[in-house]
Amino acid sequence: MLNRELLGPSLFLALFTLYAIVAWQIPLLPFEEYETVTSATLPKVYAAFGIIVCLLSIGATLLKPTEKTDSDDVLEKSNVLRTFGLLILMVVYSAALEPIGFLISTSVFLLVGFFVMGERRKKILLLASIPVAVVFWFLMTQVLGIYLVPGNLWS
Amino acid sequence: MFDGIMLGLSTVLDWNNLLYVIVGCFVGTFIGMLPGLGPITAIALMIPITYSIGADSGMILMAGVYYGAIFGGSTSSILINAPGVAGTVASSFDGYPLAKQGHAGKALAIAAYSSFIGGTVGAILLMVAAPLLAKVSLSFQSPDYVVLMFLGLTAIAAFSNKGQFLKAMMMTVFGLMLATVGIDPSSGTERFTFGQADLLDGISFLLVAMATFALAEALINVVRPEKKEIKSINDSDTPQIGSTKLTKAEIKEMAPTVGRSSILGFIIGVLPGAGATIASFMAYATERNLAPKALKDKFGKGSLRGLAAPESANNAACTGSFVPLLTLGIPGSGTTAIMLGALIAYGIQPGPMLMQENPSVFWSVIVSMYFGNIVLLILNLPLIPYFAKVLAMPKSVLTIMILFFSLIGVYLVSFNTFDLFMMVGFALVALVLRLLAFPMAPLLLGFILGDMIERNFRRSMMISDGSLSFLWERPLTLSIFVISLLVLLFPLKDFITQRRADKAAVKAKQEHA
Repeated sequence: MLNRELLGPSLFLALFTLYAIVAWQIPLLPFEEYETVTSATLPKVYAAFGIIVCLLSIGATLLKPTEKTDSDDVLEKSNVLRTFGLLILMVVYSAALEPIGFLISTSVFLLVGFFVMGERRKKILLLASIPVAVVFWFLMTQVLGIYLVPGNLWS
Repeated sequence: MFDGIMLGLSTVLDWNNLLYVIVGCFVGTFIGMLPGLGPITAIALMIPITYSIGADSGMILMAGVYYGAIFGGSTSSILINAPGVAGTVASSFDGYPLAKQGHAGKALAIAAYSSFIGGTVGAILLMVAAPLLAKVSLSFQSPDYVVLMFLGLTAIAAFSNKGQFLKAMMMTVFGLMLATVGIDPSSGTERFTFGQADLLDGISFLLVAMATFALAEALINVVRPEKKEIKSINDSDTPQIGSTKLTKAEIKEMAPTVGRSSILGFIIGVLPGAGATIASFMAYATERNLAPKALKDKFGKGSLRGLAAPESANNAACTGSFVPLLTLGIPGSGTTAIMLGALIAYGIQPGPMLMQENPSVFWSVIVSMYFGNIVLLILNLPLIPYFAKVLAMPKSVLTIMILFFSLIGVYLVSFNTFDLFMMVGFALVALVLRLLAFPMAPLLLGFILGDMIERNFRRSMMISDGSLSFLWERPLTLSIFVISLLVLLFPLKDFITQRRADKAAVKAKQEHA
């Protein structure tokens, strides 16, 4: 099985290889044909250098005589789930911001966010979400004159 | 120089800018105190605000946040042994034992005074060194810039944590690759856009900075929470503040330490890739070695010198890191890389011409450092007990607020939800990379320098008729290039030594078995 030390360089190797494939397909403009440096030159250099570094890193890891295991690094399932919950919440917030507007989407984002983080006290859930969104909205739109989307669905 | 100082003074003494210095120090201290959040996160969160207030004020605000965050990090190091910033880890070695002995107030006062002196000495040295270096760098040509940037990138990788050199190099290359996304400014060719119109202008610097630092930092604290529970200053096992007064004998004992460490910190800060963390550890080690036998034994158990040394060194290093940024346009650290990105976003090109083209930015940043240090001393010292209560803020609220301010900060600049989706994607990638122990600063440095490297490389190749001979034609270029190669080879020595040690350990284990 791929250990943690090999995982990173392997992922980068795959990424850099993909980058290299696309770099070699960058179309050259007619006047670039006879130029030494084109828009594809440095991407190709980066790709080649990156792949060499990845291979060196994989080689160095495989050559390591000892394998260190760090039991402290095991992640708790609940924390991983919470993190994914927050990532999904951020995607939903980004998608909802323009259709339903800043005030509603932000209030819901903060409220659900606190809940996902384990906050169950109703006072904190409510006081740290809706008033924060309203005060921020007021500061931005009324004091600083910055436009905040009111919601495409009803404007 | 005198005219420059006067110009800087007149800019900083504008009541708006004075307010930004105060707000910057205040916000920086606040964020720096929170374990896990450092100056890069603090500055990243400030960028959207700085976009609306102009270059002078924006840079003054960010500089204030920078040294405020370092000072804030010291407070949590001393009070709860949980440094908010890597640069203040060394401060906890003696600061926390002092606090446990009931001298928390004294420890915080030493931190404040040492930081003040370190920062002030750094600002004076910066005032002398920056214009001199800027004059020298006026003779720099494109090839010199290419190798200088190469040096910056290799140095930040070489000085990253032990055994992380290759990882840092991968991150640097990743950053350089991200910088190639969008329309090539020289030829107008589309690169890596995959037909997506939102990518034609390239990836926004703000988005990358916010995703890799602010968002990833907040998320890493969720997925891998700090083992140490953060307690209020009023909790029974957390030290009480006590008196902040220092005796004459104590001041006399620390004075030479503060002087030496300030100069050492500044010099290390100037070096690309080094910065506050290395400066504070080196100052600590130097002072321990220089101390007489009786005082040497006190190190790690509450030595006043042991606290004063890293505190003065880290603040002086922060100031020193502005030298390459302001004079060469090359950031030496992740924090100054963010500032460089912000300057470019203002349409200002940092480098040798900055002093001539935008003297108010150049001098106001330098002069604001004096004011920043004074603000930290007179504003923060009396407020420490109140600041310490910040440490008791519920993590659930804090994390979500950081996520909110990061997302809305990027949205308010671009008004494009595509940027938000991309930001969340980058945050996920950054989170995975952080879990796999990849450093983030090289990525940001590569990303910011990528465009400048490409432009200067093209120009150099054109000047030398498509030959790489520009690397060795001028003595200056050749010297910097050789230094870069030496820096690149430097970690190889560590690798070979480590491998020998590992082999010896395995052999010893086998023999023992």
